[in-house]
Amino acid sequence: MGANENSSAKPRVRPIVRLGIFLISHSNIVSLVCFLAGVVALLLLPVLAKNTYISENALMPGSANNMLSTHHVSDANKFIKDLTDLEFTSMASPIESQKLIARYMSALDAEVTFHKFYPQFSQFHPLHFFTSPDSGIISKNGTCSSFGVNTIGIIRAPRGDGKEAIVLVTPYNPSKVGLGEAVSLGIAYSVFLLLSRVTWLAKDIIWLVADSQYGEYSSVAAWLREYQAPVFHKVDVVTSEACNESSSFNELGQGLYLDGKLSGDFRRAGTMAAALVIKVVDQGNQYEDSLNIYAEASNGQMPNLDLINIVNYMAVHKQGLRIKVKKMWSLIDSWWLNTLGVIFESLGKVARSLNPQLKFGIPASDYVEGAATLASSLYYQGLGVPTGPHGAFRDYQVDAITLEISPKVSLTKLNRRNEFMLRGGRLIEGVIRSINNLLEKFHQSFFLYLLTSPGKFVSVGVYMIPFALLVAPLPIVAAYLHANGSNSTPQNPSSSLEVDGSHKSWEWLNSARKVLVIHLWGVFVSLLPFFLRQVPNTTLTMNFVLWGFLSIFSLLILYLTLDCPIFKASASQLEKNKWTSLKSVTISTAFIGLSLMSVINFATAEIGALLIVPICLLARPLKLDIQARSWRTLLRASCNIVLGFVVFSPVSFVLLKGAFEDFYGINVGDYWKWVESLWAWNSATYLYIGVVHLPCWALCIHILFHPC
Amino acid sequence: MTKKKKVPWFWTWVIGSVVFRLILLYFPKNLNLSSRPEVSTPLTSIRRLAEGYWLKQSSVSPYAGSMYHGSPLLLTLLGPLTVKRIEGQPDHLLCGLVFVIADVVSAMLICAAGEKLQVAYSSSLQLLGLRDLSENSERLPSGDFAALVYLWNPFTIVACVGLSTSAIENLMVVLSLYGACSRLAPLAAFGWVMATHLSLYPAILIIPVILLLGYGPDAPPRKLFCQKNRLEVGNSSSSDSYSEEKAKNQLKVANVFSWRPVVSFLLWTLLWSSYILVLCSIYVQQYGGLQELFKRTYGFILTIQDLSPNIGVLWYFFAEVFDFFRNFFLIVFHGNILLMLAPLALRLNHRPCFLAFVYIAISSMLKSYPSVGDSALYLGLLGLFAYELKDMQFSFFLLSGYVGVSLLSPVMHNLWIWRGTGNANFYFATAITYACFQVRYLYSF
Repeated sequence: MGANENSSAKPRVRPIVRLGIFLISHSNIVSLVCFLAGVVALLLLPVLAKNTYISENALMPGSANNMLSTHHVSDANKFIKDLTDLEFTSMASPIESQKLIARYMSALDAEVTFHKFYPQFSQFHPLHFFTSPDSGIISKNGTCSSFGVNTIGIIRAPRGDGKEAIVLVTPYNPSKVGLGEAVSLGIAYSVFLLLSRVTWLAKDIIWLVADSQYGEYSSVAAWLREYQAPVFHKVDVVTSEACNESSSFNELGQGLYLDGKLSGDFRRAGTMAAALVIKVVDQGNQYEDSLNIYAEASNGQMPNLDLINIVNYMAVHKQGLRIKVKKMWSLIDSWWLNTLGVIFESLGKVARSLNPQLKFGIPASDYVEGAATLASSLYYQGLGVPTGPHGAFRDYQVDAITLEISPKVSLTKLNRRNEFMLRGGRLIEGVIRSINNLLEKFHQSFFLYLLTSPGKFVSVGVYMIPFALLVAPLPIVAAYLHANGSNSTPQNPSSSLEVDGSHKSWEWLNSARKVLVIHLWGVFVSLLPFFLRQVPNTTLTMNFVLWGFLSIFSLLILYLTLDCPIFKASASQLEKNKWTSLKSVTISTAFIGLSLMSVINFATAEIGALLIVPICLLARPLKLDIQARSWRTLLRASCNIVLGFVVFSPVSFVLLKGAFEDFYGINVGDYWKWVESLWAWNSATYLYIGVVHLPCWALCIHILFHPC
Repeated sequence: MTKKKKVPWFWTWVIGSVVFRLILLYFPKNLNLSSRPEVSTPLTSIRRLAEGYWLKQSSVSPYAGSMYHGSPLLLTLLGPLTVKRIEGQPDHLLCGLVFVIADVVSAMLICAAGEKLQVAYSSSLQLLGLRDLSENSERLPSGDFAALVYLWNPFTIVACVGLSTSAIENLMVVLSLYGACSRLAPLAAFGWVMATHLSLYPAILIIPVILLLGYGPDAPPRKLFCQKNRLEVGNSSSSDSYSEEKAKNQLKVANVFSWRPVVSFLLWTLLWSSYILVLCSIYVQQYGGLQELFKRTYGFILTIQDLSPNIGVLWYFFAEVFDFFRNFFLIVFHGNILLMLAPLALRLNHRPCFLAFVYIAISSMLKSYPSVGDSALYLGLLGLFAYELKDMQFSFFLLSGYVGVSLLSPVMHNLWIWRGTGNANFYFATAITYACFQVRYLYSF
């Protein structure tokens, strides 16, 4: 419709319409330019990263002097010693250590409660991210033997009204307390000890000692579920009479009930302002004490940037810790990234020589580091799987991060350990003191960002640009194909008798139906693993093979049923030429899917767009290309074949894994494992792969082998 | 009536849609549709209805506490069903069954109305002497097509599974249209009175219904008949005067506005509405009488008191507007609907069904608490005009838009309410895009 309108009604067409028509009629060039610009913009992101700054004025990090002293640390040391001694002396039951922690807590005038939970094993809630976090998840597979006990201590703030709280989480395994876990408990204890005495506290402090026997995440999640969304009519799977272990849980509190501080029921403080998960890793061969920050929660959600900023500020400026975020190490040595870095550096120099005001360009080494961090940030956000127990908090809109502190030398040296604990404790104290100043929730800074280093970030406004550029060709090409398809087809009078596919403006309906059916197949394929998991005694590889087999089988069945007269609206001759309309519908569904995913989980959409957009744009029946026999069409055909192979998700998984790790020992079972982890964590990425990526790939392959 | 030509496998598709609904009704826990703002508005939510019934049972006014704002008749019809539970079954299964039945009945009515339209259309084309055109149009079973579109429209399914009472409102609107198409004045009057009583906005449908009863179903513009008439007069010098006379008479029939069904329609309307008013007044006798009822239902609709988000655009606007401008804008927005009535009625008076469709689309866009159930109705009626639709431009663009927006809207809502990374503007953006698509869609006719 574009060209016709342009010629017939030239004087009346408004400029914006003319611009649209221009873009659509030059869609080839436009899409090429947009795609390349998108890739370049993505590579430029580390250069465009800004320094972080503390956005909320009320936080005032580091404005007060540290109050945590060696005195507190030596008390904490005693606590650690008791805890580790318990491990050696009585191998009786893990309950003892929980009792010990509770005794120490209640000695500080804190309210102490135990929280018993049944760990929930991975369940499949495909639309979990759509609903509220508490919608009817009732554990059904809890058994008598497997339950965990969280110990919770709450300090009431002398200056607060009990409506807000800060949470400290220390995961530990009561049946096997490692030294690292004991020290993390010790750090938390020293801070807790200090906070029980101070007068400036305006928010309650909750110290959650999470029982990590069944995983750190599940214990924290269970506690949060109980805290935020209590189930009133609980179908108690395990009645207390039936289990012997329950009696040991009851016995837990016996000694403490006398003090009157241990309460049998679940205790709450106010709404949570923030949560810090503290972990100590005893690696012992670092250059200096360092701090790892993990922030990714489910579906690529991040805590407010201010929280990371405070930790970063306190750690770097006050405690002199070396701060780190995750990197893709394999990228740092890659030659192409280094070359790119050098190119960008020289470009930056040129830019600065032209205008000294321009602050474009960073040193090549910085660029490589930033790109590696950005890649890992994208990957872990895109995966949609939380990187630690802090992920559970984000489901309730609480900002949380995991601080993993690792010391320079081994923790067994007591002298060194004291200093390390003092540093760690002061860091936590400073952060808590800063959060204590917060007036409401964190809201001032960014929620949507990618980190390129602990002190640098790319905000949503910047990182949307590459994605928008990548996706922009899709609607343009779809419009071009649609307009072309409906203009060029010959009007066949006999075909106008159908119900819906009759007129030229409705011809796309047949292709739309095909696309819909393939997407329904995608839904079916993504539901299959749920049933396959019920089959006992299968290996990973076997599962994968079974999955693939069933998917192909169902696709074949669909093809056969599509050929039968119910679905086919008798336009068999015309249908042959319809690959353009099929492609235009495919492209527009890909566009809708990608834009939807960019809202749910941006990183997935970005990675997905990089993979799926080229083949969507290039796809063209191989037969046509080969018949034309010019070098251009042959090149395009070979490109299509390669892309069609690479974009198939298991293949691209293996290739990416090979590129970032190594090819050694990869088998197809790994893909199953990866996918299983995705759906076990209710990641939207899984749905994306099943419902958008796979069907679009299948449709593109269908177009490639279209008989025309 | 001519021989029926059905869409192949028509009944299979109908039964399939019913089974699909029942399956979805059986898993309401996982879907939780009845609490989605897109599906249940303050007027149509089943939870509010259950609450109203509960209040009534405990001898409190059902309208106490601004929970329920629907009709008392719905309360008597559906209220007992909300309480009744079958052991081991989902909570509102019985209500769900009622809505499924309502959906199927309205689809059947659309189908029947479509057939009526078809017959009228082809006969008027024959009168005009465009035989091949009429044959062409006869081949399109637009009624069946519309019924299937209505039944399989995801919006209808979602509204039905989400237990929104809009299914019943839609049924009443369709009932009145069907009654008018088949010239059954009592039925048309009943449908119109009930629809108006339930959701007020269908009141504007009185114009197309009267036109339908007066002129009969859709026909080509009357100007064409006159032209044809004149042409024939010009050519008829050689032919005999008897056939000329006959043709003239036939053409006249198409032109005459027959008052008899209209008057009977008005009388029946009076009767039905007084009947309903009496029933309502008996029901709310102890709780402030009819005045209270009107204040709590129509007043609630017109003054837009509940500003909880929905897919319309008014909630956002009235949340932002200054209080002293509120009344002014209330008048402006509702006047906007009324303003469009007259020009459209003048322009489309030869095609009352299409006029009704346009009215429904406009009111579902501008009403105070729109839901997907309203768009389900006009998208279903769209199928009736399948023949005209063949020339529609931008159909592909519009469908993609509808799909995109309807998927994006729950995600934006999630982002705003549950994740806290978005805000109301995100959701409103989808609402306004939706409105734009609706406008674009109406404009394309």
